[in-house]
Amino acid sequence: MRHQIKAALLSATMLVALPAAVRAQDAIFAVTAREVGAPSYNPITATKLNSANSLIFDRLLLQDADQSFHGLLATSWESSPDGMQWTFKLKPGVKFHNGEPFNARVIEWWVPKFAGTENAYTVEAIQRVEVIDDLTVRFHMKQPDPNLLFNLASSFMGIPAPKAYDALGDKFGVAEAIGTGPFKMEKFTVGQQTVLVRNDDYKWGSDLSQNKGPAKIKRLTVREIAEDSTAFLELKTGGIDMVYTVPTDFLPRLQAEKNIKVMTIPGTEIVYMPINTSVAPFTDIKVREAVALAVNQKEILNTLYGGAGAEAHGFLISSLEEAKVDPKYQIGYNPDRARALLDEAGWKVGPNGIRAKDGAPLQVKLWTQNGTEFKRVTEVVQAQLKAIGVQADITVFDASTINAQYKKRTEHQLAVRGYSWTNADILDWFFSAKRLGYPNVSMLDDPQAEALNDIAMNKSKTWDERVKNFRAYHEYILSRFAFAPIYEPANSFAFNTKKLTFPTAIRGTRLTSQSIIDVAVNN
Amino acid sequence: MAANRSVLARTLLTPRGGIAAGFLAVTVACALLSPWIAPYAYDLQNLSQANREPSALHWLGTDEFGRDLLSRIIWGARTSLAVGVTSIAASVICGMTLGAAAGYFGGAFDRAVTAVVDLTWSFPEILIALIFVAIIGPGLNSTAIAIAIGYLAQFTRLTRAQVMALKTETYVEATISLGAGHLYVLFRRILPNALTPVVVAGMLATGDAIILEATLGFFGLGAQPPTPSWGAMMSSGTAQIFIAPWIIIFPGLAIAATVIAINQFGDALIDALDIRGRLREG
Repeated sequence: MRHQIKAALLSATMLVALPAAVRAQDAIFAVTAREVGAPSYNPITATKLNSANSLIFDRLLLQDADQSFHGLLATSWESSPDGMQWTFKLKPGVKFHNGEPFNARVIEWWVPKFAGTENAYTVEAIQRVEVIDDLTVRFHMKQPDPNLLFNLASSFMGIPAPKAYDALGDKFGVAEAIGTGPFKMEKFTVGQQTVLVRNDDYKWGSDLSQNKGPAKIKRLTVREIAEDSTAFLELKTGGIDMVYTVPTDFLPRLQAEKNIKVMTIPGTEIVYMPINTSVAPFTDIKVREAVALAVNQKEILNTLYGGAGAEAHGFLISSLEEAKVDPKYQIGYNPDRARALLDEAGWKVGPNGIRAKDGAPLQVKLWTQNGTEFKRVTEVVQAQLKAIGVQADITVFDASTINAQYKKRTEHQLAVRGYSWTNADILDWFFSAKRLGYPNVSMLDDPQAEALNDIAMNKSKTWDERVKNFRAYHEYILSRFAFAPIYEPANSFAFNTKKLTFPTAIRGTRLTSQSIIDVAVNN
Repeated sequence: MAANRSVLARTLLTPRGGIAAGFLAVTVACALLSPWIAPYAYDLQNLSQANREPSALHWLGTDEFGRDLLSRIIWGARTSLAVGVTSIAASVICGMTLGAAAGYFGGAFDRAVTAVVDLTWSFPEILIALIFVAIIGPGLNSTAIAIAIGYLAQFTRLTRAQVMALKTETYVEATISLGAGHLYVLFRRILPNALTPVVVAGMLATGDAIILEATLGFFGLGAQPPTPSWGAMMSSGTAQIFIAPWIIIFPGLAIAATVIAINQFGDALIDALDIRGRLREG
């Protein structure tokens, strides 16, 4: 009898203890508005990826916050003096989640896969890939590309498993996503969550990580939470353990929570208002300039964001050299000039304060996407536009459908959106005439812009030359008033200190796999 | 006419009918007179005054853009009532026409209408409304159309049942045997007698429609900013619930009070008319 009871108690204890032990190494992260709704984890074809992407796929290189490059799947690289050849040595012993080996043949297969995709520009300068030996590849270039290392370190350069990629076709990245990263994708529900399990074979972390072996978290769920207040509540109540982007409103309250730590790393984002240059009334550059000068960056920074972050006056994040344009090109709040421009353009103030020309009111569409932050900025911009006599009607779209709407090209006029990128080539992405509709939401199609784009993207031989060329391209886009800059957020994330231990310094340009594999779950 | 007046009088004389009618009168007055009685413009932002608690300057406080909450609730009454009333009115008119034709003529037309109505009846109104908003795009007009379609089945069924019951009444058969045309019989003899239950059901549905409008507004599918809608105000209030709980509380109270008033008035009306049994036939 006693034995039976003991046995029963023991098994009961085990039943309770086992799931607890499993749970002890689990963690739940959350991405917020800007990352919600990424439709797939196909790094080759995707135009939008969320933070879980870097956990599934490794890249050849990683970039640190000081702009230096560090090998991940590459161990070393060198360029010929004329920049026409790049040789990469690859890390030995690397395997994909499905057992496929990672070697030079994979790179030979991978680079041509970009042809015809939105991301083709990343490898456009590469003429061909030569396999020197199993772990050595050489890129033969069409022209020198000073940005090649940055491109290879970008989030779209995660390397997928060739066999699985070719076998799955369109389903790759949705049904399955197979890379060499520290986590394997177990299940992905678009717009909701991604369940990741640890890759126990992982032993090829970069020197940006302390941990060179498998991640310390065993099972990681990355949830997508569009509402800031929901993310905050979930973090506060333990429903999630870490949130990738802390909404600024909640910074003071999160800092006051004793179990929550907020860490800030240099910003990588710009919030801005693209102006569709191809539809009336914005075919008139005076109207574009007026609308751009109506945006009061300071008011938005101080009242909506409590002063956290910075005003944006150009298209690039302030840490980039190419952001340092001649001050005369910077776009900033100037309501008097905005009103004068509209007067000049023939839009006269009507009795209700809204301007009109030939009997038609100055009424435009202002699009935004779901998520508290976007909607708030948009409503403030709406009021700022009204102050110069422009009536902007807001339409809120679902984050995953708005890009399809932009692709119709003539449906939209103004929009409030944001991007996250750390290189000046984002100007090419959002303003090149090759990508009208989306990503070129501004529909800028201008021969001079294209010429400057070509020089910056394809004719720069050295990094310094590239900086100079991109600065000229940036200045030209600013002079065309193809968008209005709004805000440069600070990049803060927050985690539950009872549950997780983060490394003291976050390496890299953002919080990605190199830091996550160092994160430990507290017991 | 005298009978109608006495029904209304009987409704208003009951405590709940009277209080509910009084509240509704105030709400309707707010909706009609909002440009004159709202202390501020509904879209007047004052970011330095954002999230202020109720004060002498702003009786119900301000929202996250420093807009006066009282003004927005008063203007919001206009949105809620306009959508609630027009969508249900449209639904009642279309539903009565369909239901009366189906019930009166019967046959294949009746079977077709009943099949479609039963199909939509099997889905919740919110789902039908969401589907239609997804198809025609967000906004106030599409919200009203979506709600009207969502409630169409209810009024069609109710009218059809009334008409089927009435068309076998002796006085109807007598009118037909005297040689009256179908339209005369339908519009002069049957529909006037079928009208009361449908109108009362429409009144009750208006309360539901206001909630549905608020729900669509909460999801961002209804009125687009800065047009105030109680549901959308609550939605933006969720983000400020810890800093400025009044942003979510007051519009919530406005919705609750209005819907309760409509339901209480409707109930009092049903009692006064003594038609509870006939409403169930639908």
